[in-house]
Amino acid sequence: MTPSVRLQEMIRVIRSARTQGEERGIIQRECADIRAQFRQGDNGERSHSLAKLLYVHMLGYPAHFGQMECVRLIASPRYSEKRIGYLGAMMLLDEKQDASLLITNSIKNDLSHSSQYVQSLALCTLACMGSAEMCRDLAPEIERLLRASNSYIKKKATLCAVHIIRKVPELAELFTPTARSLLSEKNHGVLHGAVVLITELCERNPDTLNQFRKAVPELVQIMKGLVTSSYSPEHNVAGISDPFLQVRILRLLRILGHNNETASDAMNDLLAQVATNTDSSKTAGSAVLYETVLTIMDINSESGLRVLAVNILGRFLLNNDRNIRYISMTSLQKIVQTDHNAVQRHRGTIVDCLKDQDTSVKRRALELSLALVSAVNIRSMMKELLIFLSTCPPELRSQTASGIFNAAERYSPSKRWHIDTILHVLTTAGGDVRDETVPNLIQLITTASELHCYTVHKLYRALVKDISQQSLVQVACWCIGEYGDLLLKGECEEIEPVQVTEDDVLDALETVLQSHMSSPATRGFALTSTMKLSTRITDNVDRIRSIVSIYGSCIDLELQQRAVEYNALFKKYDHMRAAVLERMPVMDKNSPGHTNGDTSGEIKEPDPSKPKPVEAGLLAEPASQVCDLLDLLGGTDTPIQPNPAPASTATTTSSADLLDLLGGLEPTPVLQTVTVTVYEKNGLSLKIQCDRQTETEVTVTLISSNSTQTDITNFNLQAAVPKSVQLQMKAPSGNVIPAHGLGQVTQTVLLNNPNKVSLKMRIRVSYSNQGAVHQDTVQIDSFPSPASQPSISPL
Amino acid sequence: MMHFLLLFSRQGKLRLQKWFLPLPERERKKIVKDMTTMVLARKPRTCNFLHWKDLKIVYKRYASLYFCCGLESQDNELLALEILHRYVELLDKYFGNVCELDIIFNFEKAYFILDEFLMGGEIQETSKQSIAKSVEASDMLQETMEEYMSKPAF
Repeated sequence: MTPSVRLQEMIRVIRSARTQGEERGIIQRECADIRAQFRQGDNGERSHSLAKLLYVHMLGYPAHFGQMECVRLIASPRYSEKRIGYLGAMMLLDEKQDASLLITNSIKNDLSHSSQYVQSLALCTLACMGSAEMCRDLAPEIERLLRASNSYIKKKATLCAVHIIRKVPELAELFTPTARSLLSEKNHGVLHGAVVLITELCERNPDTLNQFRKAVPELVQIMKGLVTSSYSPEHNVAGISDPFLQVRILRLLRILGHNNETASDAMNDLLAQVATNTDSSKTAGSAVLYETVLTIMDINSESGLRVLAVNILGRFLLNNDRNIRYISMTSLQKIVQTDHNAVQRHRGTIVDCLKDQDTSVKRRALELSLALVSAVNIRSMMKELLIFLSTCPPELRSQTASGIFNAAERYSPSKRWHIDTILHVLTTAGGDVRDETVPNLIQLITTASELHCYTVHKLYRALVKDISQQSLVQVACWCIGEYGDLLLKGECEEIEPVQVTEDDVLDALETVLQSHMSSPATRGFALTSTMKLSTRITDNVDRIRSIVSIYGSCIDLELQQRAVEYNALFKKYDHMRAAVLERMPVMDKNSPGHTNGDTSGEIKEPDPSKPKPVEAGLLAEPASQVCDLLDLLGGTDTPIQPNPAPASTATTTSSADLLDLLGGLEPTPVLQTVTVTVYEKNGLSLKIQCDRQTETEVTVTLISSNSTQTDITNFNLQAAVPKSVQLQMKAPSGNVIPAHGLGQVTQTVLLNNPNKVSLKMRIRVSYSNQGAVHQDTVQIDSFPSPASQPSISPL
Repeated sequence: MMHFLLLFSRQGKLRLQKWFLPLPERERKKIVKDMTTMVLARKPRTCNFLHWKDLKIVYKRYASLYFCCGLESQDNELLALEILHRYVELLDKYFGNVCELDIIFNFEKAYFILDEFLMGGEIQETSKQSIAKSVEASDMLQETMEEYMSKPAF
């Protein structure tokens, strides 16, 4: 064939450009030429210009001005122009362009052209970029060609029909009758197309699927013919006769045999035959075997056949070819739930694949290993997984870590083992664990009361060694704060005793506090645990006091607030300190968890390094974020005081407060929720109590009480909120407030804050008392939330 | 069904792109960029399969060209390797010891051959000889017409 001189010349010139700028210049010139060419009309040069344009398009330059030229060339009588025109249409036009509709007519004409090669161009283009409109228009033509034409056109028409069905599913009925008859064709191309067509029809319509089940014997025959046929040079690939067709037929059989006894029975023999006779030394054979295995597993095959399939997969696992190992693991993953024991037999090989060089293989091996963990093999599997964690590529780490946690949670043989495992993961890959790990671990630790001493010693040692892994540091700080006394006692059966002095402990915590590696949340943990130690140590309370007062002027708002509150605890409420800083109770994992987003106290400081998703009501954030509970409206057993911040920290009631946040979903014992007085005047006092808070919703109760001599009547509250916030005020409990504080009126208010703007609310109070009508307005600038106290400005 | 078939060089230059799904131009450019980055980053003796979004990506390197295709989840990856190999064989038969330059300078013919082999993301013809015959016949048709018009092909 004569070379395309002009096109090739242009390509050569473009390739010789030495810089991007030079190339752009050349392309611009050429495009100008091409455009001029197009304008000149038909002079036999158009196809060259379009070919050049297509090359330019492939380099990434805009070529939309060629679209109309494609349309014109397609309509030309010359084959060469049609050929390049159709190619251009496939490359430049898609169904979103308007110009694509213009070629519908040309395609229609070409579909009935005398030359089959012109017909094939039209069919190919329709199957490539035909829009739903075009498909609807031309479907009858295609159907005609399906029935009456030579095999060259038939095979193309079949695939065109497949495309039409994908675009316009309603037209499936049009092709169903012809599809069945196509199965008796001898030509492999047509047969292949027919199988694809039938597959497409069956996938879309269960009735058609039933219909085609009758074709199973025919398909089995065809397959048998392929498998047992003698060598046919035309279709042979590495000893397999037409693997493409075989795979397609197997796939169709899978769909037809799924959930159907009779169909599955009809194909059992065939599948056994294919599975045993196919030579899998080359990829072609392996492809057929692979498809066979998938089919066996998906239909109602007899158990012998299933065992055969799993064995094939096992054999694949040992294959030298990485591709085959990879797909065998993918397939095993699919069946690990249903045929667990069969897959367990290959556990050793799978675990070995964890050490493979290839990341894809490692990933598959990891998923499969995690699925194979059971109570029986947990210890050995965990050993392997932990080794894997220390050497695995970074993109797999968080998946490994969470997999290990899940497995440990379900199958851990002992609490100590569980804690050890989690600690190991935190030390190796602390940066990649999910956020819930910290509260989960803390909750686990509290439940293992006999191990507190052991745990705190281990954590202390880990902390001293390395403070860069935030999750580990947080847990360690919490434990030291909680169980500091056990740490200082020094003895512990399971660990060699090391004498830890109070100064050591405080040094460690201070290092965490001061280190720039610590995130704000971690520092919060450290500060609170320092505070807790004030009741657990004896000599260095002054040191703690000074630390706390230093942080009272810290720039970080969270730390500053905590420090100020702790200071207050030292100064004004020293008598309560012991009670407040008492040991936490064992946390119940199933208590309605409160929002993750609040607990880390990061509402005020958007901390990009630890975005916490808000998941209200999920796993209990077991007040592990104890230090954060500091700021929760966790009341104590003592009466609440308005400003300044109430002294509240992790206390025995904090878990109760957890529950309270969700508006008391569970019956709780003595429950004091924090209410803050926002308005107090003329004997009327208005308190606001935060019932529940998520990132986008707040539920508060407004409690009004009356300390005057006479009843307050016609009591009415109106509220206004910022624009994007939605307010819903429930009916008040009444509009009469008895005198002498004998009763209260409560009203629940729901605020929906989808845009998470800062919440403000203005409340207008109006009532009658002692014959006079009173009206007043209160503005609440910020709501009681775990990280702040409401600031009130009575207007 | 195959979603796309891409050929690119070791420097990431695109030599052929066939899209079997209607995607906007921007989307296509992004996919090409992602594919080239992902595939070129693969080490030599790793397996030929990747995962990208919800597609399986199968790629194979032939001399200086990477052949990369995107498949749906029910498609057979090993068969896709065979498909890529078949395409290379067809090119080889047509051009005689095909190399990257052949595909660069005769890209339109590479497309014509592909269009005889795959259609709508599925295989059209499983016999190599059949495809070779059709391509030859179309070329003859083109040539005869051109000879008749006494002008070069392109």
